[in-house]
Amino acid sequence: MSRQGGRGTESKKMYWYLPFISPSASLQLMNSELFTLTYGALVTQLCKDYENDDDVNKQLDKMGYNIGVRLIEDFLARSNVGRCHDFRETADVIAKIAFKMYLGITPSITNWSPGGDEFSLILENNPLVDFVELPDNHSTLIYSNLLCGVLRGALEMVQMAVDVKFVQDTLKGDSVTEIRMKFIRRIEDNLPAGEE
Amino acid sequence: MAVCIAVIAKENYPLYIRSVPTENELKFHYTVHTSLDVVDEKISAMGKALVDQRELYLGLLYPTEDYKVYGYVTNSKVKFVMVVDSSNTALRDNEIRSMFRKLHNSYTDIMCNPFYNPGDRIHSRAFDTMVNSMMMQVC
Repeated sequence: MSRQGGRGTESKKMYWYLPFISPSASLQLMNSELFTLTYGALVTQLCKDYENDDDVNKQLDKMGYNIGVRLIEDFLARSNVGRCHDFRETADVIAKIAFKMYLGITPSITNWSPGGDEFSLILENNPLVDFVELPDNHSTLIYSNLLCGVLRGALEMVQMAVDVKFVQDTLKGDSVTEIRMKFIRRIEDNLPAGEE
Repeated sequence: MAVCIAVIAKENYPLYIRSVPTENELKFHYTVHTSLDVVDEKISAMGKALVDQRELYLGLLYPTEDYKVYGYVTNSKVKFVMVVDSSNTALRDNEIRSMFRKLHNSYTDIMCNPFYNPGDRIHSRAFDTMVNSMMMQVC
């Protein structure tokens, strides 16, 4: 009897720790194949749900946008990058830090427009498209359009309106994947009237 | 090298079959179809041992006058059948084995393509080129 009581108190003393996950914790690695297959499942499901490819592209962009507006907070917290002074610096941060951090690749930056407001990200290999072969009836599908949405959403949260689109895609037979980014304007913070 | 390569689903219907265009295609369909019985026989005869050793290669299924038929079965019971010209004596068992392994890897990649539904016929450019390269190699 006493023993049982003893055991009872002992079991009450047991408690569990939940691991504390801080946003600045070291990068947790995910199997890239799992990631690729998950994204593939997402895209094919969208293709089943929507009749035409344009709708799928739009939907992917929208989902990416929603990811981007959240991801930027995580990115800023983890990477400690400050405010960029010009668009070139932004391009560097995107290619060398953001892509490295989230996709494990470092795209190269080329084809700056003379005005310095437009550039291309060249992805030698895109982890989203391993295994993928576009069937003929999806010729207008932009498979990785989610990335465009992510970039657009993230930059919008740091007061930059940009236009992002794919101009080359390895899935469509091009040798590299090229994402074109165009700076449109700064989004001014709307300060309340009367405050400086 | 090979004159005909076929991928057969678990339920014994063809997923992919391709032969050299110079020969009578129907003849190879017939050869591959006949070989399936031998595959089944082999699996049931040494099924237990195969599972234990994780050996997927079934070896020579049967030789005909002009051709030799080799088989390979994955753990998910998908069969690969390869018909090779008998006159090509230089072909070693090891090479056949490595060709099957290549075929298996390529098949795995197709299965990972999100646009491919398991059980459908295989329409893939990457797979086509791989099979072509295996049929051309030493012709």
